[in-house]
Amino acid sequence: MRTPRINLKELEKIKEENFKERLEFIDKYVEWMKKTSNKTWSSQQKDLID
Amino acid sequence: MKINISGKEIEFKKEQNKLDRFVIEFTSLLNRLQIRYVIVSGYVAILFGRSRTSEDVDIIVEKQDFKTFITVWNTISDGYYCINTNDVKEAYEDYLSSGISLRFAKKNTFIPNIEFKFPKTDLDNWTAQKRKKVIINNHYFYISPLELQISFKLHLGSEKDIEDARHLYKLFEETLDMTLIKEFNRKLKTQALFQRYLQ
Repeated sequence: MRTPRINLKELEKIKEENFKERLEFIDKYVEWMKKTSNKTWSSQQKDLID
Repeated sequence: MKINISGKEIEFKKEQNKLDRFVIEFTSLLNRLQIRYVIVSGYVAILFGRSRTSEDVDIIVEKQDFKTFITVWNTISDGYYCINTNDVKEAYEDYLSSGISLRFAKKNTFIPNIEFKFPKTDLDNWTAQKRKKVIINNHYFYISPLELQISFKLHLGSEKDIEDARHLYKLFEETLDMTLIKEFNRKLKTQALFQRYLQ
């Protein structure tokens, strides 16, 4: 079976970009948490974990 | 978000998730026994809202003699079992005293579990000494100082760990002791990661 060409440098770049996006998401999430009531953010966290 | 931070205490209210309840129940046994312990690693970020869960909760427990450990073991055994061994002597000698963690889970379960360990390094001892009391909905337990958690998470270095560090840093940015963070970053050689991912 023929497999596609794999460019590891390209994949590494995408992995780093995804990581940066997740870090940016964390910043937005924390900003949201700070201006949101404890009940609201923790209820959403509870839904995710439970 | 409303959170009160004063000296050695952090107090806030939240809707408790399953992991919070698991931690509160287990640490209430340690509190009752007046054992010095400190929660470290991933759960600290989850406690403060990080959007992920964990299969284990790391707790460093001050070294104790075998007689004291038997009391701890018997108290824990009321609702939990040790995944590694059911022999208290083996648990103490072959695991804890040999630097290997014990894992305790609720009876008839496997996860989540408590990774229970004695301090191995000066850093572990420092964390236990400088622990912070967290009061959550009238329950309390002890966690590592956040400054160390942030630097240490960077030291661990996986993407998940760096994300935990970023979450804690961004959430507590205004209240952290930056001199302490700088010192830990210097000692753990995490200055570059701190610059790159947290600032």
